[in-house]
Amino acid sequence: MKRAILNSIFSNWLLLCSLLISGCSSPEEKSTAKIYLIEISQMKFNPAVLTVQKGDTVLFINHDFVIHNITEKSAAKWSSPQLANGKSWRMVVTQTADYYCTIHQVMNGRIQVH
Amino acid sequence: MKSIILKSATVLIASALLATDAFAQPSQKLSDPEIASVAVVANQTDIEYAMIAKKKTNNAEVIKFAETMAKDHQSVIDQAVALVTKLGVTPKDNAVSKSLQAGGIKTKKLLNSKTGAAFDKAYIDNEVAYHKAVISTVENVLIKDASNKELKELLLSVVPILKTHLEHAEMVQKMIAGK
Repeated sequence: MKRAILNSIFSNWLLLCSLLISGCSSPEEKSTAKIYLIEISQMKFNPAVLTVQKGDTVLFINHDFVIHNITEKSAAKWSSPQLANGKSWRMVVTQTADYYCTIHQVMNGRIQVH
Repeated sequence: MKSIILKSATVLIASALLATDAFAQPSQKLSDPEIASVAVVANQTDIEYAMIAKKKTNNAEVIKFAETMAKDHQSVIDQAVALVTKLGVTPKDNAVSKSLQAGGIKTKKLLNSKTGAAFDKAYIDNEVAYHKAVISTVENVLIKDASNKELKELLLSVVPILKTHLEHAEMVQKMIAGK
């Protein structure tokens, strides 16, 4: 019980610190690259179209029990390894790209750089 | 009455396997062990078609499609086997699974008799018809009849895979027709 209360106080303290830090950050710090999630589920990329800033990171995670990959569509400029269920892969976005799964060629997505 | 419905379901699946007739929806209630058997046989049958395709075709798109079918349907079998093992269910042969096996033998004979572009067309045409038939059976028979919640969930999770396969097969079918 005592341990739970101490943990709760510590968590709240951490949250307060992070809020104070973010509240005091400069405009430059606010433009820090973000991480976006694209979930692969029921044979679809979700969201299918994602708009990000150049330098942001996109994290793909496969929830299907069949294997998928993520490959740039025009000339396979980049490609993930084969992702089994529960596996993830991340990439830093440098330009707009259409992508697909080469195993299931009708599965398509797009990352758009704003 | 029961046997008439079962017989009509069997005939419909066999017809669809031969890529001819439209697929109507039977209403025969199958038990969970029977559903498990139909699921395993249906997936195994498509793996066997893929094996023939990988041996016989030189078409890169057909090879890729066949490889996907072999991998994905094996994954479905693995999931089904893991579930029935967990549930202590033994798949039970039934008229539908027997019909699938019989249809599979006929179709494999047909595929083995063809070569070149004629083989590619026969294989992909059958894949389109087969996936349409299986999707209909899973959605309208197996999911409805399944009693166990986990079995029902597994069947539900298989439907998007089958629909993606169908879309992929139709894409390859168009490519072949355009050549």
